[in-house]
Amino acid sequence: MDIGIYNRRKRTNKIGLTLSMVAMTLGMVVLLWILFILFSKGFAALSGNFFTQSTPAAGSDGGGLANAIVGSLMMVASCTLISTPIGVLAGIFMAEYGDRSKIASITRFVTDIMLSAPSIVIGLFVYAILVAQVKHFSGWAGTMALSLLAVPVILKTTENMLRLVPGTLREAAYALGAPKWKVSFSVILRAAKSGVMTGILLAVARVSGETAPLLFTALNNQFFSTDMNKPMSNLPVVIYQFALSPYDNWVNLAWGGALLITLTVLGLNILARVFFREKS
Amino acid sequence: MTLDTTNLKNAIEVRNLDFFYGKFKGLKSINLNIAENKVTAFIGPSGCGKSTLLRTFNRMYDLYPGQRAEGEINLYGENILDKERDLNLLRSKVGMIFQKPTPFPMSIYDNIAFGVKLYENLNKADMDERVEWALNKAALWNEVKEKLNQSGLSLSGGQQQRLCIARGVAVKPSVLLLDEPTSALDPISTGKVEELVHELKNDYTVAIVTHNMQQAARVSDFTAFMYLGELIEFNETKQIFLKPDRKETEDYITGRFG
Amino acid sequence: MTSMSSGIQLTPEMAKIVRNQKMQDFLFHKVTFFFASLVLIVLAGILISLIITSWPALKEFGPGFFFSPEWDVVNQKFGGLTSIYGTLVTATLALLIAVPLSFGIAVFLTEMCPNWLRRPLGTAVELLAAVPSIIYGMFGLFVFAPLFATYVQPFLTDTIGQVPVIGALFQGAPNGIGLLCAALILAFMVVPFITSVMRDVFEIVPPVLKESAYGIGCTTWEVVTRIVLPYTQAGVVGGIMLGLGRALGETMAVTFVIGNAHRIRASLFSPGSSIASTLANEFGEAEPGLHYASLFALGLALFIITFIVLSAAKWMLVRMEKQKGAKS
Repeated sequence: MDIGIYNRRKRTNKIGLTLSMVAMTLGMVVLLWILFILFSKGFAALSGNFFTQSTPAAGSDGGGLANAIVGSLMMVASCTLISTPIGVLAGIFMAEYGDRSKIASITRFVTDIMLSAPSIVIGLFVYAILVAQVKHFSGWAGTMALSLLAVPVILKTTENMLRLVPGTLREAAYALGAPKWKVSFSVILRAAKSGVMTGILLAVARVSGETAPLLFTALNNQFFSTDMNKPMSNLPVVIYQFALSPYDNWVNLAWGGALLITLTVLGLNILARVFFREKS
Repeated sequence: MTLDTTNLKNAIEVRNLDFFYGKFKGLKSINLNIAENKVTAFIGPSGCGKSTLLRTFNRMYDLYPGQRAEGEINLYGENILDKERDLNLLRSKVGMIFQKPTPFPMSIYDNIAFGVKLYENLNKADMDERVEWALNKAALWNEVKEKLNQSGLSLSGGQQQRLCIARGVAVKPSVLLLDEPTSALDPISTGKVEELVHELKNDYTVAIVTHNMQQAARVSDFTAFMYLGELIEFNETKQIFLKPDRKETEDYITGRFG
Repeated sequence: MTSMSSGIQLTPEMAKIVRNQKMQDFLFHKVTFFFASLVLIVLAGILISLIITSWPALKEFGPGFFFSPEWDVVNQKFGGLTSIYGTLVTATLALLIAVPLSFGIAVFLTEMCPNWLRRPLGTAVELLAAVPSIIYGMFGLFVFAPLFATYVQPFLTDTIGQVPVIGALFQGAPNGIGLLCAALILAFMVVPFITSVMRDVFEIVPPVLKESAYGIGCTTWEVVTRIVLPYTQAGVVGGIMLGLGRALGETMAVTFVIGNAHRIRASLFSPGSSIASTLANEFGEAEPGLHYASLFALGLALFIITFIVLSAAKWMLVRMEKQKGAKS
């Protein structure tokens, strides 16, 4: 045995693995650093007023993000209400008819692309077909943009979860003479319930943090408003505007908002995992 | 293949049945009769086509593109391979119990009621009665009567399978197909299910696939031995096990190949 | 109700039920089909609306639009080159930085990590992939860029900046924000995502394959580079391209720190713009007309670029799954 070759291989191994450890450490350090900054600056902003007062006018003191929080909640909620039936029913189509349909394979392909497509372009699209037509920004336009982002997520997880249901369960339902739609809803969907809910939670988490699609649709509203037909205040756009502003209290509020969004997104993700693990 | 069926009514008559998985011929020219209110067992080594044959009786293969059957299968005189035949209706008349217990994700009561609600409009009292009747038939009533609202999945394996049997008989089919119903169960549950099969034949025609020869000998009136997609021998169970006609049958029964 | 021994008789009630079932299933098919096809309709809609709205600009400037570096709002002369350049440079640079990092982390997670740490770390990586990108943007602007300007940029100028040719990339005023900074922030954002994909793909490798390599005396590094990587190459490339697709379309992580200047300079320290940042910054004030149409033209370009990259990624990943199916 040539000890030289062996030593060289050992060295390469050591270097490679050390570099991996360095990468790991570097990655973790940076990402923990980011989270640390977020938490420290964010918590500093969470005062009593944060949740009760609306966004302050330029230059004025204090204020909170109440209108933005409410606006975001309303848009995310309506987005969920709209995109869940669409995504679930589409996912059911893909799972039940997907093997025999050419349309289904094309849809699957396109869905995966839409999952990673630039969300700002979605915003442009909704602007062109809705906002430009009615000549004003609105909470509904924002909801539409968010729904376009959420539907592919829900579709994909629904299809995957339905396909995971064992074939024998499906056959047992058919064996009783049940029509296809009953097999699908009363048995298969029910069996995959927790997985499908997880998908919905993940979709909600995803759209909660999106800024770009709201920039040209819901825009923003300085005042407290629950009118979905008007421009609607929302956390991501407020954060964007305030962070880039020269006012200290605005920047402060931006950090608070950023923390709030991150906690929501992470919380929903964790909830989805726990929920799924428990049920399956 | 000598069998005197002159004084027996046939529930199912199979004529020249071929079955294809894509290009592969899984069943070759099957001809046999399933007698009414009797238990007919199908035995044979793995891959011989016994499950395939069973699944033609309720056109379960129709769910999968690429699988098709050619020939005739007459259920009380009507050919079920007919393109026009309504499959859901057929399946409500020809029930199937699978190898793995498959309770639906609902309560025990709803499991049973599910099939009944498809084709019958019963009020609550009648439905309760039917559920109790079905669970009694499956010898499960006493074990679950206190917990009808619990999920079907909360039962043990043997109980789940009996629940599936109750579910199958609740819709009062003409024929019951049992596809290796006890291979996933422990011996005690197996014994209970075999007793059930004995009783069920009084009201139903039963076809059972099993890879356990002793089980076939215990529960069936008629036995069909299959090998590589062909029906090798079909006779009264006593005949098959004591004095088989064909050498292949004898070899299989005596364990020369498995 | 039919009697049990008389075969299949069809009573009038049952015939009605059967008819209803047929109609219910028909509706079921149509309704679910409609919702599934909505995805395709939306895709087509996006393309069509982008093309229609950007048409005035495309007509005015022709295909040369995408190669012209002009962006003059006052004189209404627009060209997409600066934004496209910024998009491509930041995304490519981000991936050049992120991929080795992700690879290292994925290797650590699958080969070197002690078992008790594996799940928590893996979950941490997945959760980090979910953090909204605006957080990275804010981090970049308020924390990273100043530090970058104070420590890293002078360092780079003094070292690589002195090397001929390549040095030109690292010259210029240490402002912090600029193309390089944006690329770095983008890299941080995309690392958790690519790591997740790589790790998922590495875990599909059958343990027997790795064990047989270890069994003949391979070192861990050799197993990773000679066995795992080749086996998963389609998946790895697919994952990288997915990351590229996301990086190309990313708005918030980039807009905060890219500098928002419509020019192309040699140095990576210089401010620039990406398509997404241009849209985010200028759309609000764009007057209807050529400015507006040009912005949409940029959006169209971005959509097409990402569509191509993501299609290629998906194709790679599908190949990976087919290969896995064949080998397992």
